[in-house]
Amino acid sequence: MYYMLYAICFPVLTGLFLLVFRGLKNRKSLLLFTAAALAGASALVVLALCLGQGGMLTLFNLTERLPVMFKVDGVSVVFSVMTVIVFLCAGFFSFSYMEHEQNEKRYYGYYLIVFGVLIALCFAGNLITFYMFFEALTLASLPLVLHKGGREAVMAGLKYLFYSLSGAYSALFGLYFIERYGNTLTFSPGGVISAEMAAKYNGLLLGIAFAMLIGFGVKAGMFPMHAWLPTAHPVAPAPASAVLSAVIVKAGVLAVVRVVYYIFGVSFLGGSWVQYAWMSLTLATVFMGSMLAYREPVLKKRLAYSTVSQLSYILFGLSVMDKEAVTGSLLHVLCHSFIKAALFLCAGGIIFRTGKTRVEELRGIGKEMPATIWCYTIASLGLIGIPPMGGFVSKWYLAVGALGAGISWFSWIGPVVLLVSALLTAGYLLPVVVLGFFPGEDACPGGWEKKEPSLLMRIPIFVLTLLSVVAGLFPGPVVDYLSRIIEKII
Amino acid sequence: METVQNFPAISILLCLFAGIISSGLKRKAARWVNILLVVAVAFLSIYTLGYVLATGASYVYVMGKFPAPWGNEIRVGALEAFTAFFFCVIMLLSLEGGRKKLADELEEGKTYLYYVLSDLLLSSLLALVYTNDLFTAYVFVEINTIAACGLIMIRQNGRTIKASARYMIMSLLGSGLLLLGICMLYDLTGHLLMGNIREQVGILSVTGEYHIPLLVTIALMSVGLAIKSALFPFHGWLTDAYGYSTVSSAAILSSLVSKGYIFLLIKIIYRVIGTEVFNESKIINILFVFGLMGMIFGSLSAIRENDVRRMISFSSVAQIGYIYMGIGMGTKAGMEASVFHILSHAATKSLLFIAAIGLTDVSGGSRKFIDLTGAAFRNKWAGVAFTVGSLSMVGVPMFSGFVSKLLFAQAAVQNEIKMLPALIVLGISTILNAIYFMKTVIRIYTPVEDLKYESITFKNMRMYAVTLVLFIILNVFLGVSSQPVVDLIGQGLAMFS
Repeated sequence: MYYMLYAICFPVLTGLFLLVFRGLKNRKSLLLFTAAALAGASALVVLALCLGQGGMLTLFNLTERLPVMFKVDGVSVVFSVMTVIVFLCAGFFSFSYMEHEQNEKRYYGYYLIVFGVLIALCFAGNLITFYMFFEALTLASLPLVLHKGGREAVMAGLKYLFYSLSGAYSALFGLYFIERYGNTLTFSPGGVISAEMAAKYNGLLLGIAFAMLIGFGVKAGMFPMHAWLPTAHPVAPAPASAVLSAVIVKAGVLAVVRVVYYIFGVSFLGGSWVQYAWMSLTLATVFMGSMLAYREPVLKKRLAYSTVSQLSYILFGLSVMDKEAVTGSLLHVLCHSFIKAALFLCAGGIIFRTGKTRVEELRGIGKEMPATIWCYTIASLGLIGIPPMGGFVSKWYLAVGALGAGISWFSWIGPVVLLVSALLTAGYLLPVVVLGFFPGEDACPGGWEKKEPSLLMRIPIFVLTLLSVVAGLFPGPVVDYLSRIIEKII
Repeated sequence: METVQNFPAISILLCLFAGIISSGLKRKAARWVNILLVVAVAFLSIYTLGYVLATGASYVYVMGKFPAPWGNEIRVGALEAFTAFFFCVIMLLSLEGGRKKLADELEEGKTYLYYVLSDLLLSSLLALVYTNDLFTAYVFVEINTIAACGLIMIRQNGRTIKASARYMIMSLLGSGLLLLGICMLYDLTGHLLMGNIREQVGILSVTGEYHIPLLVTIALMSVGLAIKSALFPFHGWLTDAYGYSTVSSAAILSSLVSKGYIFLLIKIIYRVIGTEVFNESKIINILFVFGLMGMIFGSLSAIRENDVRRMISFSSVAQIGYIYMGIGMGTKAGMEASVFHILSHAATKSLLFIAAIGLTDVSGGSRKFIDLTGAAFRNKWAGVAFTVGSLSMVGVPMFSGFVSKLLFAQAAVQNEIKMLPALIVLGISTILNAIYFMKTVIRIYTPVEDLKYESITFKNMRMYAVTLVLFIILNVFLGVSSQPVVDLIGQGLAMFS
């Protein structure tokens, strides 16, 4: 049972050790320590997933009715596996990338702490525990945003902080009421609101559900609280942007999954105004995110806008509350995190070797660093949703789910928006490929210099790209696993 | 009668005598007398608490041998004993944390006076907590005012003299209103002992006689104590008094003095006027609204502030607003939340003041934000402590501030009319708190290239660092295992009526 606790505490403690301990001045020993800590933490997570299934661990009571407790269920498995993979890849990438940045030790310290907090979020067994670590996540990831220092980073950090805290308060607002009107705060498949309460306080509870969705949606960059994301993600160092954009925002998705399917329940929210309002917001975000990404000249910012749009694909699937659509959502959680991490790492590789940040400067980049840009291309195709890449399968499920669900005219408007947005995705991701591989005759008369980043940076990109392809070629086992989770909650 | 029952009276007298003796002692001796006194009172209070909890009932202690309607009484319940104990702990830590600064800032040969004043202040606080007699309460309110003024003024510079003059005027206005209220109550009921007044007020409210005078009395006493505890529109005196006095004074003033008055108000509500009569009067809504306004305007002023000490002072205005909001809800849960916040804010605010002084000391004594850049690297302990205090103020889980916020919200959810404004303002205030506290935390953790100021190491500030650690432990304790404390408060409030 305590494996869960080890998996949470180990990375947090090693991170704190890095922050407090003065030694490890030598860069090599620092990297070895961090690598060992990351590997150890990942092993502990896997151990906890294998041994802790179904168990429940109550740590202590915050107040009489608010126990801090952890448990592992299917959703925890999906999110923690994703977290481990992306953190390992981005971690190894940083070993090479962070060479030219200041304060490496601090960076690794917070990196490990964020890892531990994310695992705690995956394992959280009730709403109050989840909320606690949700706040902790904001605070622990803030130093990653602030890492470069300077006015721009501080302003972005503050923006991130205030959006996140407002969102968290909005969610906390709901917690107060659920504590009073619900049966329990423990996540239970199908919800904790009894039919009697649901009938008696219908309007109030629906309002609260909406407040919680908006509140937790902040972390997932849902309109109207999305503005922090494109500001905060690009100012961090590239590997940190990768984990911010690929994993940390998924904490918002996880929160929404927990609130909708484990607190309120589909039977309560399905067909209500909350479902339709939420669905409209996600569709608006999908479209708006793509449009903004299309207009954005800076590559990392463009990728951040793309995250806004792609996360709302996931949220749209969740808002449909249909088995197929939710399968698509959870699958897209995995695919998007691999792809977006790969894309950010590619952008990082480009910055590391050439210092170029704007898309129009990337003329001929494919000749200079072919392996990286090939990975970029494959990952992009995945995000657009071209078969046989991972993104295709998840979007297929999303569209099929939306068409089959009884959600009146949203059934067809949803897939249409998804398709339009896919076109826009192609429009904003592929220019890099086109410019990179086809620079034109006169671009560089002297021949292209090879600028491929080091192996330590290329391997994580390869692995992530490969995973996104594998997810598209052999989605069967994952889909089976997901549908078994979803059986219980819908 | 058992010996334990004498302890509260003994601790008040002990403080008074210690004050008198210290006035003839040298600096060091006075300091030791003070430390021993606070520790002794803490032990006496905790022993009393144990006794009260064991018997499960409060008791009334008659001073001298004069029986009820004439004599002077002390009343001891679980909440009184616990508050007395808690006040002692905070006082000890606040004095310990500012000890070094005290030696720098006070004139040579005046330090012993500081301890005289602290002893007197403690005696008046204890009396406010324990008394069962309105006139005694008034007498000690005045002693408290004078001692507090002395604590502000003892660091001699223009700012503190102006601040203490302002404090004196506002405070006297407050106690004047309180005195008027007490006089009118004496006229209406013919008693000064709390229990007797309560009976008479109960009769008056049933018959409906003297309805308006009673209302005016309640208003006078509430507003008088609100002025003294710096509720929102009456907070003008607060920032200078907290901002420029020596740090121990600021910590004691913000976390104990204003809290003593609030405690007296709560006692008056429960023991003199009665919760029903108080809830029916409109005064409760006024306190509620002022509380809400304080929560917002206090934070807004703090955001505009460019001086870290004054910023923390303005944050007190907001936190006092929280407490009055809880009182204004008029429910048991609201009152519990308020009492918990009295404790939680006392623990946090004194921590922040003490930590801030460590940060300003390593920034050339400047309190401007620009100079504080990177201060947390120069004084690591103060940096961590300030961060903990800030997180607690913002209401991050695991720290005491979160539990108060939770209790306030739970209380709000039970009150259907006041629910929405309370929750919305709580939300806005949380965000505003985050703005100025996190801004400061980021500022002190921003590295600077040119090392203008020297760093300080653990060796040069042992006691200071230990104090900070104790404060942090206290904060985390209140945040993690709040249930026993909340239970105790509930039990104590039940003993009130």
